[in-house]
Amino acid sequence: MNSIAWARRSLLALACMGATVALADGLDSTGVVEMAPPTPQRLYVVDPAFPHMIDGRMHIVDGDTERYLGVISTGYSASVALAPDRKEIYVATTYYARLNHGERTDVVDIHDAQTLSWKGEIVIPTRHAQAMAARNVTQTSFDGHYLFVQNATPATSVTVVDLKARKVIAEVQTPGCWSVYPSPSVAGRFSAMCGNGSMLTVTLDAAGQVLSRRQSAPFFDPDKDPVFTNFDRYQGRYVFVSYHGQVHVADLSGEEAKFDAPWSLLNAADRKQHWRPGGYQLLATHEPSGRLFVTMHDKGEEGTHKDPAKEIWAFDLNTHQRVSRSPGYGAGGLAVSRGDKPRLYALNVEEAKITQVDVSGAKPRFLRTMQPIAETPIQLELQ
Amino acid sequence: MGLIGNWLDRWSERSTRNVAQRSSRRSALNRIGKLMVGSAFVLPVLPFDRTSQAHAAEARKRKQATDDTACDYWRYCAQDGYLCSCCGGTVSTCPPGTEPSKVAWVGTCRNPVDGKDYLISYNDCCGKTSCGRCMCNTSHGERPGYRLGLHNDVNWCMANDSSVFHCTTALIVGLPEGNA
Repeated sequence: MNSIAWARRSLLALACMGATVALADGLDSTGVVEMAPPTPQRLYVVDPAFPHMIDGRMHIVDGDTERYLGVISTGYSASVALAPDRKEIYVATTYYARLNHGERTDVVDIHDAQTLSWKGEIVIPTRHAQAMAARNVTQTSFDGHYLFVQNATPATSVTVVDLKARKVIAEVQTPGCWSVYPSPSVAGRFSAMCGNGSMLTVTLDAAGQVLSRRQSAPFFDPDKDPVFTNFDRYQGRYVFVSYHGQVHVADLSGEEAKFDAPWSLLNAADRKQHWRPGGYQLLATHEPSGRLFVTMHDKGEEGTHKDPAKEIWAFDLNTHQRVSRSPGYGAGGLAVSRGDKPRLYALNVEEAKITQVDVSGAKPRFLRTMQPIAETPIQLELQ
Repeated sequence: MGLIGNWLDRWSERSTRNVAQRSSRRSALNRIGKLMVGSAFVLPVLPFDRTSQAHAAEARKRKQATDDTACDYWRYCAQDGYLCSCCGGTVSTCPPGTEPSKVAWVGTCRNPVDGKDYLISYNDCCGKTSCGRCMCNTSHGERPGYRLGLHNDVNWCMANDSSVFHCTTALIVGLPEGNA
C-alpha cells in the first residue's frame, strides 16, 4: 500500500468513526466551527430569497470583520424573531411535503443562536402569515416566554406559542388588525394596529384564556396618513412613523394602549420638498442616546412609501429636534447596535448591501459599505 | 405577491407620476366586478370609495397601454411580483400548471387611453416555485396590513392548496362610471 492510499483509508476510517482528531503530516480532518462569542456587531440578515422562496435563509455575519459566520434555513415565506437574550432564534414558517405541493405544515423552528443548530419545532396552525419578513409579524413576549405569530387566511388572527412548554396555547382572532406588539411588561399581552386607526390590546392568562380585549380610540387616520406597521422601541414604548412623517409613540404596557401627542419629522421647508419616510424596516432607535433614525426621501407622493432613502435623518426622541442628516445609502432598512458604541446599519435592499455608520458621536460618521451578503435581504437584526 | 421588486423600473416610473395626494377627487369606479376574494371572505374595505386611493386626475401619468410585459404598463400601478405575462401566462391568466389565487389585493389604476380609473385585482398564480422573470413592484395606493385588501407585502396564494407563489396577474374587475 502506498502512502496516499493509506492516508485515504485512514481518513475514511476516521470519517466513519466521526472522529475529528488532528492528523499528523499536515493532513486535515473535518469538524464543525465553533463561533466566537457574539459581539454587539453580530448581524442577523433575514433573506426570503425571492427568486426561490421555498428556500429562505437568515445569514449571520460579524459586522466588525465582515466574516460570514453561518446560515439558518428558514423555509417558505418565514418570519423570524430573536429571543430577548439572543440565545435562540425562532422561525415561523411553512413546509410542504413535496416542496411546492403536498401536505402543508407550519412550524416554529427553534435554532440555537450560538451553534446555529436546529433544536426542535413547535407545530402551529397552517395559517401563519406568509408576509414579507418584518419585526411586526412575529415577536416574543418581553421575557421570551411566549411567541406571537401573525396569521392570515386572509382573516387575521394571532397564534400564541408557549416557548417554555413548547406548545401552542391560543389562537386569538384579530379581525381588521395587523401586527403583534408585545407588552413591555406583561408576558401574556400583545397589541395590534387596526384598520380604523386604533390599537387592539389582548391580555391572556398562562393557559391562553383571553382575560381582556381593549380597543383604543383611533390615534391616526388611515385614510389621510397611514402609519407604517414597522417599529422600534424607546424606554419601553413603541415608536412608529406615518406615511407623511408623523411620529407616534405608544405605551402598550397596559390593558389599553395609550399614546403621546404625535409630532412631525418635517419642518415647513421639508414639507415643501415633500420629504417622507420610506422603506421597510424604516426606523431604528438607540436607547442610551435617545436617538431615532428614519430613512427619508424627497419628492414623496402616493406610492413612494417603500422608496429607498435619499437621506437618513436622526432625531432626539426627547426634544423632537432633528440632530443630523446623513446620506441615505439607498437604505430601505435600519438597525442600530446595542451598547456603548452604537453603529447604524443601513440596509440597501435593492443591492443587498449594508452600510455601517458610527453614530456614537454628535455627527454620524461613515465607516464602510459591506460586500453584498444575501440575495434579497429585507430585515436586519443585531445581537 | 407583494415583494421587493425592480426599483430601477419604479424609479423611471415614478419620475412620470403625479402627486396623487393632492387630489381629493373620488375614484370614478362604480362597480367592483368579479373581485376574486373568495366566497368565504369579504374584504372589509375596498378602495374605490377612498379618496386616498384616487389617482390625481390632472395629467402626467405617462403610463403605457401597449406592452404588458413592462412594469410601466398601466394596470401594474400597485403590482408587486413577477409579471405572469413574462412567465407563460398573460396579464390576466396564469401560466400552465399553476392555479389562480383565491384571494387578492386590489389597486385603482388609470388607463392612459381613456383617462379613466379601473379597479384592478392582483391575483397571484400559485403552486410552482417563483417565476423569477419581470419583477415589478409599484405601490400606488398600497396600504399596511391593517388594510389587508390593499396590502401587497403578503402572499396572496395564502388560501390556495399550494400557497407557493409563482407570479402575479392584473385583472380589471371594476369599470369606470358609465361603463358598468
